[in-house]
Amino acid sequence: MNKITVHCTVNHKPVAVEIDPNKRLLDMLREDLNLTSVKEGCSEGECGACTVIFNGEPVTSCCVLAGQAEGADIITLEGVSVDGKPDVVQQAFMDAGAVQCGFCTPGMILTAEALLAKNPAPTEEEVKQAMSGNLCRCTGYAKIVEAVLLAAERARGGV
Amino acid sequence: MKRRGTGVGCMFYGVGNTGLPNPAAAFVQVLPDTSVHVTVGAADIGQGSSTMAASVAAETLGLNYEDIHVVWADTMYAPEGGATSASRQTFITGNAVKNACQTAMGELKRTASEELNVPEEDLVFRKREIYSNKDASVRMTYPELMAAMGKKGRLAVGAGYYNPKTTYLSPVDMSGVPYELYSYATCILEVEVDTDTGEVSLLKAVSAHDVGTPIGIKLVEGQIEGGTAMGTGFVISEKIDVDPKTLAIKNPTLSKYIIETSMDVPVVYPIVVSSEGEAGPFGAKGVGEPALIPSIPATIAAINDAIGSSFTSTPIFPADIVKAWKEQQKTQG
Repeated sequence: MNKITVHCTVNHKPVAVEIDPNKRLLDMLREDLNLTSVKEGCSEGECGACTVIFNGEPVTSCCVLAGQAEGADIITLEGVSVDGKPDVVQQAFMDAGAVQCGFCTPGMILTAEALLAKNPAPTEEEVKQAMSGNLCRCTGYAKIVEAVLLAAERARGGV
Repeated sequence: MKRRGTGVGCMFYGVGNTGLPNPAAAFVQVLPDTSVHVTVGAADIGQGSSTMAASVAAETLGLNYEDIHVVWADTMYAPEGGATSASRQTFITGNAVKNACQTAMGELKRTASEELNVPEEDLVFRKREIYSNKDASVRMTYPELMAAMGKKGRLAVGAGYYNPKTTYLSPVDMSGVPYELYSYATCILEVEVDTDTGEVSLLKAVSAHDVGTPIGIKLVEGQIEGGTAMGTGFVISEKIDVDPKTLAIKNPTLSKYIIETSMDVPVVYPIVVSSEGEAGPFGAKGVGEPALIPSIPATIAAINDAIGSSFTSTPIFPADIVKAWKEQQKTQG
Protein backbone atom coordinates (compact mmCIF):
# COMPACT_ATOMS: atom_id res chain seq x y z
CA MET A 1 0.00 0.00 0.00
CA ASN A 2 1.29 3.47 -0.85
CA LYS A 3 1.90 5.55 2.22
CA ILE A 4 0.46 9.01 2.66
CA THR A 5 1.84 11.93 4.59
CA VAL A 6 -0.45 13.70 7.03
CA HIS A 7 0.38 17.27 8.02
CA CYS A 8 -1.31 18.54 11.13
CA THR A 9 -0.70 20.34 14.42
CA VAL A 10 -0.42 18.07 17.43
CA ASN A 11 -0.12 19.61 20.87
CA HIS A 12 0.75 23.03 19.45
CA LYS A 13 3.54 21.69 17.18
CA PRO A 14 3.33 21.08 13.42
CA VAL A 15 4.02 17.46 12.46
CA ALA A 16 4.24 15.47 9.22
CA VAL A 17 3.64 11.74 9.64
CA GLU A 18 4.02 9.09 6.95
CA ILE A 19 1.36 6.41 7.45
CA ASP A 20 -0.68 3.72 5.76
CA PRO A 21 -3.87 5.35 4.46
CA ASN A 22 -6.08 2.96 6.43
CA LYS A 23 -4.57 3.91 9.77
CA ARG A 24 -6.85 5.33 12.42
CA LEU A 25 -6.00 8.64 14.07
CA LEU A 26 -5.88 6.76 17.40
CA ASP A 27 -3.09 4.50 16.11
CA MET A 28 -1.17 7.35 14.49
CA LEU A 29 -1.15 9.25 17.79
CA ARG A 30 -0.17 6.21 19.85
CA GLU A 31 2.22 4.39 17.52
CA ASP A 32 3.79 7.10 15.37
CA LEU A 33 3.77 9.99 17.83
CA ASN A 34 4.04 7.94 21.05
CA LEU A 35 1.13 9.82 22.66
CA THR A 36 -0.01 6.91 24.80
CA SER A 37 -2.40 8.95 26.95
CA VAL A 38 -4.86 8.34 24.10
CA LYS A 39 -6.51 5.09 25.22
CA GLU A 40 -8.25 2.47 23.14
CA GLY A 41 -11.39 1.24 24.87
CA CYS A 42 -14.30 0.00 22.76
CA SER A 43 -12.94 0.80 19.25
CA GLU A 44 -16.46 1.76 18.15
CA GLY A 45 -16.91 5.34 19.33
CA GLU A 46 -18.97 4.44 22.40
CA CYS A 47 -16.70 4.86 25.40
CA GLY A 48 -14.72 8.05 24.77
CA ALA A 49 -11.40 6.73 26.14
CA CYS A 50 -9.67 7.74 22.88
CA THR A 51 -11.06 11.29 22.91
CA VAL A 52 -8.84 14.03 21.49
CA ILE A 53 -9.65 17.68 20.87
CA PHE A 54 -9.93 17.97 17.09
CA ASN A 55 -10.30 21.57 15.84
CA GLY A 56 -11.80 22.48 19.21
CA GLU A 57 -14.26 19.59 19.37
CA PRO A 58 -13.97 16.42 21.46
CA VAL A 59 -13.73 13.56 18.97
CA THR A 60 -13.30 9.79 19.41
CA SER A 61 -10.04 9.16 17.54
CA CYS A 62 -10.85 5.47 16.99
CA CYS A 63 -13.49 6.53 14.48
CA VAL A 64 -11.33 9.01 12.53
CA LEU A 65 -8.97 7.97 9.75
CA ALA A 66 -5.60 9.59 10.21
CA GLY A 67 -5.84 11.04 6.71
CA GLN A 68 -8.85 13.07 7.85
CA ALA A 69 -6.54 14.93 10.22
CA GLU A 70 -4.79 16.73 7.33
CA GLY A 71 -4.52 20.36 8.39
CA ALA A 72 -6.26 19.73 11.70
CA ASP A 73 -5.36 21.06 15.13
CA ILE A 74 -5.21 18.17 17.59
CA ILE A 75 -4.74 18.26 21.36
CA THR A 76 -4.11 15.18 23.50
CA LEU A 77 -3.64 15.05 27.25
CA GLU A 78 0.10 15.57 26.72
CA GLY A 79 -0.71 19.00 25.25
CA VAL A 80 -2.84 20.11 28.19
CA SER A 81 -0.33 20.40 31.00
CA VAL A 82 1.53 23.68 31.30
CA ASP A 83 5.35 23.41 31.59
CA GLY A 84 4.96 19.82 32.79
CA LYS A 85 2.55 20.89 35.53
CA PRO A 86 -1.13 20.01 35.72
CA ASP A 87 -3.49 22.64 34.34
CA VAL A 88 -6.63 23.76 36.13
CA VAL A 89 -8.77 20.83 34.92
CA GLN A 90 -6.14 18.20 35.72
CA GLN A 91 -5.62 19.71 39.18
CA ALA A 92 -9.37 19.74 39.82
CA PHE A 93 -9.62 16.04 38.87
CA MET A 94 -6.92 15.27 41.44
CA ASP A 95 -8.42 17.48 44.15
CA ALA A 96 -11.97 16.16 43.69
CA GLY A 97 -10.85 12.51 43.72
CA ALA A 98 -12.26 12.05 40.21
CA VAL A 99 -9.77 9.35 39.23
CA GLN A 100 -10.01 5.69 40.16
CA CYS A 101 -8.47 3.26 37.64
CA GLY A 102 -7.59 6.22 35.41
CA PHE A 103 -8.31 4.63 32.03
CA CYS A 104 -11.13 7.05 31.15
CA THR A 105 -9.35 10.05 32.69
CA PRO A 106 -7.46 11.40 29.63
CA GLY A 107 -10.65 11.40 27.56
CA MET A 108 -12.66 12.87 30.42
CA ILE A 109 -10.18 15.73 30.89
CA LEU A 110 -10.08 16.53 27.17
CA THR A 111 -13.88 16.57 26.91
CA ALA A 112 -13.94 18.88 29.94
CA GLU A 113 -11.29 21.14 28.37
CA ALA A 114 -13.33 21.40 25.15
CA LEU A 115 -16.49 22.19 27.13
CA LEU A 116 -14.88 24.86 29.29
CA ALA A 117 -13.22 26.50 26.26
CA LYS A 118 -16.70 27.11 24.85
CA ASN A 119 -18.69 27.45 28.04
CA PRO A 120 -16.63 28.74 30.96
CA ALA A 121 -19.60 28.67 33.36
CA PRO A 122 -21.54 25.46 32.67
CA THR A 123 -24.40 24.28 34.86
CA GLU A 124 -24.25 20.82 36.41
CA GLU A 125 -26.71 19.57 33.77
CA GLU A 126 -24.55 21.01 30.98
CA VAL A 127 -21.49 19.26 32.42
CA LYS A 128 -23.35 15.92 32.62
CA GLN A 129 -24.57 16.37 29.04
CA ALA A 130 -21.08 17.23 27.76
CA MET A 131 -19.43 14.30 29.57
CA SER A 132 -22.08 11.76 28.58
CA GLY A 133 -20.01 10.47 25.65
CA ASN A 134 -17.24 9.39 28.01
CA LEU A 135 -17.94 6.21 29.95
CA CYS A 136 -16.51 5.54 33.40
CA ARG A 137 -17.03 2.24 35.20
CA CYS A 138 -15.38 3.13 38.50
CA THR A 139 -16.55 6.48 39.81
CA GLY A 140 -20.27 6.74 39.11
CA TYR A 141 -19.33 10.16 37.62
CA ALA A 142 -20.16 12.14 40.80
CA LYS A 143 -16.60 13.28 41.47
CA ILE A 144 -15.90 13.79 37.74
CA VAL A 145 -18.81 16.22 37.45
CA GLU A 146 -17.66 17.86 40.69
CA ALA A 147 -14.14 18.22 39.24
CA VAL A 148 -15.33 19.90 36.04
CA LEU A 149 -17.47 22.37 38.00
CA LEU A 150 -14.52 23.03 40.34
CA ALA A 151 -12.20 23.62 37.38
CA ALA A 152 -14.69 26.03 35.83
CA GLU A 153 -14.98 27.95 39.07
CA ARG A 154 -11.20 28.12 39.54
CA ALA A 155 -10.62 29.14 35.92
CA ARG A 156 -13.04 32.02 36.43
CA GLY A 157 -11.01 33.04 39.49
CA GLY A 158 -13.59 31.91 42.01
CA VAL A 159 -11.53 29.71 44.30
CA MET B 1 -47.87 8.50 33.11
CA LYS B 2 -44.87 9.09 35.33
CA ARG B 3 -44.91 7.34 38.66
CA ARG B 4 -42.38 7.56 41.46
CA GLY B 5 -41.34 4.79 43.80
CA THR B 6 -38.87 4.20 46.58
CA GLY B 7 -37.05 1.00 47.49
CA VAL B 8 -34.74 -0.17 50.23
CA GLY B 9 -31.96 -2.75 49.98
CA CYS B 10 -29.92 -4.09 52.89
CA MET B 11 -26.97 -6.42 52.88
CA PHE B 12 -24.18 -7.94 54.87
CA TYR B 13 -21.11 -9.21 53.14
CA GLY B 14 -18.32 -11.49 54.29
CA VAL B 15 -14.95 -9.96 53.46
CA GLY B 16 -12.34 -12.33 52.01
CA ASN B 17 -12.46 -15.76 50.44
CA THR B 18 -15.20 -18.05 51.77
CA GLY B 19 -13.92 -20.60 54.29
CA LEU B 20 -10.48 -20.71 52.70
CA PRO B 21 -7.03 -19.52 53.67
CA ASN B 22 -6.29 -16.32 51.69
CA PRO B 23 -3.18 -14.63 53.05
CA ALA B 24 -1.42 -11.51 51.79
CA ALA B 25 2.04 -10.18 52.64
CA ALA B 26 4.05 -6.94 52.66
CA PHE B 27 7.71 -5.84 52.85
CA VAL B 28 8.67 -2.56 54.51
CA GLN B 29 11.87 -0.59 54.96
CA VAL B 30 12.26 2.82 56.59
CA LEU B 31 15.21 4.46 54.79
CA PRO B 32 17.78 6.80 56.35
CA ASP B 33 16.04 9.86 54.85
CA THR B 34 12.80 8.75 56.63
CA SER B 35 11.15 7.81 53.36
CA VAL B 36 9.60 4.33 53.36
CA HIS B 37 9.47 1.55 50.80
CA VAL B 38 6.36 -0.60 51.05
CA THR B 39 6.06 -3.54 48.65
CA VAL B 40 2.77 -5.40 48.31
CA GLY B 41 1.39 -7.95 45.87
CA ALA B 42 -2.08 -6.35 45.92
CA ALA B 43 -3.16 -5.19 42.46
CA ASP B 44 -4.62 -1.68 42.59
CA ILE B 45 -7.29 -1.61 39.88
CA GLY B 46 -8.41 1.87 40.86
CA GLN B 47 -10.05 1.07 44.16
CA GLY B 48 -7.09 2.53 46.02
CA SER B 49 -5.30 -0.41 47.65
CA SER B 50 -1.91 1.30 47.17
CA THR B 51 -3.22 4.49 48.75
CA MET B 52 -4.59 2.37 51.58
CA ALA B 53 -1.20 0.62 52.03
CA ALA B 54 0.57 3.99 52.25
CA SER B 55 -1.99 5.30 54.76
CA VAL B 56 -1.67 2.23 56.98
CA ALA B 57 2.16 2.38 56.85
CA ALA B 58 2.21 6.10 57.69
CA GLU B 59 -0.17 5.63 60.62
CA THR B 60 1.69 2.61 62.02
CA LEU B 61 5.17 4.08 61.67
CA GLY B 62 4.22 7.58 62.83
CA LEU B 63 5.22 9.18 59.53
CA ASN B 64 3.27 11.19 56.95
CA TYR B 65 1.47 9.77 53.94
CA GLU B 66 3.90 11.63 51.66
CA ASP B 67 6.85 9.72 53.17
CA ILE B 68 5.58 6.37 51.88
CA HIS B 69 6.38 4.93 48.45
CA VAL B 70 4.39 1.85 47.47
CA VAL B 71 5.56 -0.71 44.92
CA TRP B 72 2.65 -2.95 44.06
CA ALA B 73 1.60 -5.98 42.05
CA ASP B 74 5.02 -6.57 40.45
CA THR B 75 5.56 -10.28 41.05
CA MET B 76 9.30 -9.92 40.44
CA TYR B 77 9.61 -7.92 43.70
CA ALA B 78 6.39 -8.20 45.62
CA PRO B 79 5.31 -10.96 48.00
CA GLU B 80 2.05 -12.86 47.60
CA GLY B 81 -0.98 -10.57 47.77
CA GLY B 82 -3.74 -12.84 46.60
CA ALA B 83 -6.48 -11.66 44.30
CA THR B 84 -8.00 -8.21 44.22
CA SER B 85 -11.42 -9.73 44.82
CA ALA B 86 -13.81 -10.48 47.65
CA SER B 87 -13.35 -6.87 48.86
CA ARG B 88 -10.35 -8.24 50.75
CA GLN B 89 -7.28 -6.06 50.11
CA THR B 90 -7.95 -3.31 52.66
CA PHE B 91 -8.59 -5.93 55.31
CA ILE B 92 -5.86 -8.44 54.48
CA THR B 93 -3.08 -6.53 52.71
CA GLY B 94 -3.78 -3.65 55.11
CA ASN B 95 -3.10 -5.94 58.06
CA ALA B 96 -0.02 -7.32 56.31
CA VAL B 97 1.40 -3.82 55.91
CA LYS B 98 0.64 -3.07 59.55
CA ASN B 99 2.38 -6.26 60.67
CA ALA B 100 5.42 -5.59 58.49
CA CYS B 101 5.67 -2.03 59.87
CA GLN B 102 5.43 -3.31 63.43
CA THR B 103 8.35 -5.65 62.78
CA ALA B 104 10.35 -2.77 61.27
CA MET B 105 9.56 -0.75 64.38
CA GLY B 106 11.37 -3.21 66.62
CA GLU B 107 14.75 -1.60 65.95
CA LEU B 108 13.21 1.90 65.78
CA LYS B 109 11.72 1.46 69.26
CA ARG B 110 14.91 -0.07 70.69
CA THR B 111 16.97 2.85 69.36
CA ALA B 112 14.50 5.57 70.40
CA SER B 113 14.29 3.99 73.84
CA GLU B 114 18.07 4.16 74.24
CA GLU B 115 18.31 7.71 72.89
CA LEU B 116 15.44 9.14 74.98
CA ASN B 117 15.93 6.90 78.00
CA VAL B 118 12.25 5.98 77.89
CA PRO B 119 10.88 2.40 78.09
CA GLU B 120 9.80 1.11 74.67
CA GLU B 121 6.19 0.64 75.77
CA ASP B 122 5.91 4.35 76.68
CA LEU B 123 7.04 5.59 73.26
CA VAL B 124 4.60 7.30 70.88
CA PHE B 125 5.45 7.52 67.16
CA ARG B 126 3.32 10.23 65.59
CA LYS B 127 3.62 12.70 62.69
CA ARG B 128 7.40 12.36 62.25
CA GLU B 129 8.14 12.64 65.97
CA ILE B 130 8.81 10.19 68.77
CA TYR B 131 7.94 11.13 72.36
CA SER B 132 7.17 9.69 75.78
CA ASN B 133 3.51 9.28 76.66
CA LYS B 134 4.50 10.16 80.25
CA ASP B 135 6.27 13.40 79.35
CA ALA B 136 5.75 14.77 75.85
CA SER B 137 8.73 17.12 76.24
CA VAL B 138 11.02 14.09 76.06
CA ARG B 139 11.06 13.81 72.30
CA MET B 140 13.08 13.42 69.12
CA THR B 141 12.35 13.83 65.43
CA TYR B 142 12.28 10.96 62.94
CA PRO B 143 15.41 12.24 61.12
CA GLU B 144 17.22 12.27 64.50
CA LEU B 145 16.07 8.71 65.13
CA MET B 146 17.22 7.54 61.70
CA ALA B 147 20.60 9.25 62.26
CA ALA B 148 20.93 7.33 65.54
CA MET B 149 19.96 4.11 63.75
CA GLY B 150 22.69 4.81 61.18
CA LYS B 151 25.33 5.39 63.85
CA LYS B 152 24.45 2.10 65.53
CA GLY B 153 24.38 0.22 62.25
CA ARG B 154 20.72 -0.76 62.55
CA LEU B 155 18.14 -1.10 59.79
CA ALA B 156 14.38 -0.74 60.06
CA VAL B 157 13.07 -3.58 57.93
CA GLY B 158 10.05 -5.81 58.22
CA ALA B 159 8.09 -8.47 56.45
CA GLY B 160 4.57 -9.35 57.53
CA TYR B 161 1.53 -11.20 56.41
CA TYR B 162 -2.03 -11.79 57.44
CA ASN B 163 -4.43 -14.65 56.93
CA PRO B 164 -8.05 -14.16 58.01
CA LYS B 165 -9.24 -16.38 60.83
CA THR B 166 -11.59 -18.72 59.01
CA THR B 167 -12.20 -22.46 58.98
CA TYR B 168 -12.90 -24.83 56.12
CA LEU B 169 -16.65 -25.35 55.83
CA SER B 170 -18.13 -28.77 56.51
CA PRO B 171 -19.07 -30.42 53.19
CA VAL B 172 -22.05 -31.99 55.00
CA ASP B 173 -23.86 -28.92 56.33
CA MET B 174 -21.54 -25.98 55.42
CA SER B 175 -20.99 -25.22 59.10
CA GLY B 176 -17.81 -23.42 60.12
CA VAL B 177 -16.40 -19.88 60.07
CA PRO B 178 -16.55 -18.67 56.47
CA TYR B 179 -15.36 -15.10 57.15
CA GLU B 180 -13.55 -13.25 59.90
CA LEU B 181 -15.47 -10.03 59.40
CA TYR B 182 -18.54 -8.63 57.67
CA SER B 183 -19.46 -5.29 56.09
CA TYR B 184 -23.01 -3.97 56.35
CA ALA B 185 -24.92 -1.53 54.15
CA THR B 186 -28.34 -0.10 53.35
CA CYS B 187 -29.37 1.75 50.21
CA ILE B 188 -32.58 3.74 49.77
CA LEU B 189 -33.29 4.63 46.17
CA GLU B 190 -35.95 6.66 44.38
CA VAL B 191 -36.96 6.14 40.74
CA GLU B 192 -39.41 7.67 38.31
CA VAL B 193 -41.02 5.21 35.89
CA ASP B 194 -42.67 6.26 32.64
CA THR B 195 -45.49 3.75 32.30
CA ASP B 196 -45.94 4.52 28.57
CA THR B 197 -42.32 3.99 27.51
CA GLY B 198 -41.13 1.80 30.37
CA GLU B 199 -38.17 4.08 30.92
CA VAL B 200 -36.75 4.23 34.44
CA SER B 201 -35.10 7.44 35.65
CA LEU B 202 -32.84 6.96 38.65
CA LEU B 203 -33.38 9.98 40.85
CA LYS B 204 -31.63 9.71 44.19
CA ALA B 205 -29.83 7.07 46.19
CA VAL B 206 -28.81 7.30 49.81
CA SER B 207 -26.34 4.55 50.53
CA ALA B 208 -24.97 4.01 54.03
CA HIS B 209 -22.02 1.68 54.56
CA ASP B 210 -20.46 0.37 57.74
CA VAL B 211 -16.81 0.24 56.69
CA GLY B 212 -15.30 -0.03 60.15
CA THR B 213 -12.70 2.73 60.28
CA PRO B 214 -12.68 4.41 56.86
CA ILE B 215 -9.18 4.67 55.38
CA GLY B 216 -9.55 7.62 53.03
CA ILE B 217 -13.13 8.95 53.09
CA LYS B 218 -12.93 10.24 49.51
CA LEU B 219 -11.97 6.79 48.22
CA VAL B 220 -14.78 5.15 50.17
CA GLU B 221 -17.28 7.68 48.77
CA GLY B 222 -15.95 7.06 45.27
CA GLN B 223 -16.43 3.34 45.73
CA ILE B 224 -20.02 3.84 46.93
CA GLU B 225 -20.87 6.21 44.05
CA GLY B 226 -19.36 3.89 41.47
CA GLY B 227 -20.90 0.79 43.00
CA THR B 228 -24.34 2.36 43.00
CA ALA B 229 -23.98 3.13 39.28
CA MET B 230 -23.03 -0.50 38.62
CA GLY B 231 -25.84 -1.92 40.76
CA THR B 232 -28.57 0.27 39.29
CA GLY B 233 -27.24 -0.44 35.78
CA PHE B 234 -27.43 -4.15 36.55
CA VAL B 235 -31.18 -3.65 37.03
CA ILE B 236 -32.17 -1.28 34.23
CA SER B 237 -29.74 -1.70 31.33
CA GLU B 238 -27.03 -4.34 31.70
CA LYS B 239 -27.55 -7.84 30.39
CA ILE B 240 -24.95 -10.33 29.25
CA ASP B 241 -26.62 -11.98 26.29
CA VAL B 242 -25.38 -15.57 26.06
CA ASP B 243 -26.10 -17.74 23.04
CA PRO B 244 -27.73 -20.86 24.56
CA LYS B 245 -26.16 -23.13 21.94
CA THR B 246 -22.59 -21.90 21.66
CA LEU B 247 -22.44 -20.18 25.08
CA ALA B 248 -20.74 -17.27 23.30
CA ILE B 249 -21.46 -13.80 24.60
CA LYS B 250 -23.52 -12.11 21.90
CA ASN B 251 -23.05 -8.53 23.07
CA PRO B 252 -19.37 -8.08 24.02
CA THR B 253 -19.34 -4.41 22.97
CA LEU B 254 -20.24 -1.20 24.74
CA SER B 255 -22.80 -0.37 22.05
CA LYS B 256 -24.75 -3.52 22.95
CA TYR B 257 -23.96 -3.91 26.64
CA ILE B 258 -25.28 -0.64 27.98
CA ILE B 259 -23.67 0.89 31.05
CA GLU B 260 -24.77 4.14 32.62
CA THR B 261 -23.46 7.50 31.46
CA SER B 262 -23.18 10.70 33.47
CA MET B 263 -26.78 11.44 32.37
CA ASP B 264 -28.16 8.17 33.74
CA VAL B 265 -26.66 7.76 37.20
CA PRO B 266 -28.72 8.76 40.22
CA VAL B 267 -27.53 11.48 42.55
CA VAL B 268 -25.77 9.40 45.20
CA TYR B 269 -25.53 10.50 48.81
CA PRO B 270 -22.88 8.22 50.32
CA ILE B 271 -22.96 7.86 54.10
CA VAL B 272 -19.79 6.43 55.60
CA VAL B 273 -20.59 4.75 58.90
CA SER B 274 -17.71 4.07 61.27
CA SER B 275 -17.67 1.16 63.64
CA GLU B 276 -15.03 -0.03 66.04
CA GLY B 277 -13.33 -3.20 67.10
CA GLU B 278 -13.08 -4.96 63.76
CA ALA B 279 -10.19 -7.17 62.68
CA GLY B 280 -8.95 -5.01 59.79
CA PRO B 281 -6.08 -2.50 60.02
CA PHE B 282 -7.20 0.16 62.55
CA GLY B 283 -10.63 -1.45 62.32
CA ALA B 284 -11.11 -1.02 58.54
CA LYS B 285 -13.32 -3.32 56.45
CA GLY B 286 -13.91 -3.86 52.74
CA VAL B 287 -16.32 -1.71 50.71
CA GLY B 288 -15.64 -2.81 47.11
CA GLU B 289 -18.54 -5.16 46.48
CA PRO B 290 -20.75 -3.93 49.35
CA ALA B 291 -20.82 -0.60 47.46
CA LEU B 292 -22.89 -2.12 44.69
CA ILE B 293 -24.89 -4.91 46.31
CA PRO B 294 -27.74 -3.10 48.15
CA SER B 295 -28.51 -0.80 45.21
CA ILE B 296 -29.71 -3.80 43.19
CA PRO B 297 -32.65 -4.85 45.43
CA ALA B 298 -33.32 -1.18 46.22
CA THR B 299 -33.80 -0.41 42.51
CA ILE B 300 -36.04 -3.44 41.95
CA ALA B 301 -38.11 -2.54 45.01
CA ALA B 302 -38.39 1.08 43.87
CA ILE B 303 -39.69 0.01 40.45
CA ASN B 304 -42.16 -2.36 42.12
CA ASP B 305 -43.26 0.45 44.44
CA ALA B 306 -43.76 2.82 41.49
CA ILE B 307 -45.94 0.59 39.33
CA GLY B 308 -47.21 -2.10 41.70
CA SER B 309 -45.25 -4.83 39.93
CA SER B 310 -43.57 -7.81 41.55
CA PHE B 311 -40.21 -8.11 39.78
CA THR B 312 -37.71 -10.28 41.61
CA SER B 313 -34.93 -10.66 39.05
CA THR B 314 -32.70 -8.55 36.81
CA PRO B 315 -32.55 -6.96 34.33
CA ILE B 316 -35.84 -5.11 34.06
CA PHE B 317 -36.07 -3.59 30.59
CA PRO B 318 -38.66 -1.03 29.37
CA ALA B 319 -40.69 -3.74 27.58
CA ASP B 320 -40.94 -5.70 30.85
CA ILE B 321 -42.17 -2.61 32.64
CA VAL B 322 -44.81 -1.70 30.04
CA LYS B 323 -46.04 -5.30 30.14
CA ALA B 324 -46.15 -5.41 33.94
CA TRP B 325 -47.96 -2.07 34.07
CA LYS B 326 -50.60 -3.22 31.58
CA GLU B 327 -51.17 -6.45 33.52
CA GLN B 328 -51.44 -4.46 36.70
CA GLN B 329 -54.07 -2.16 35.11
CA LYS B 330 -56.02 -5.19 33.86
CA THR B 331 -56.09 -6.80 37.31
CA GLN B 332 -57.25 -3.55 38.85
CA GLY B 333 -59.77 -2.74 36.10
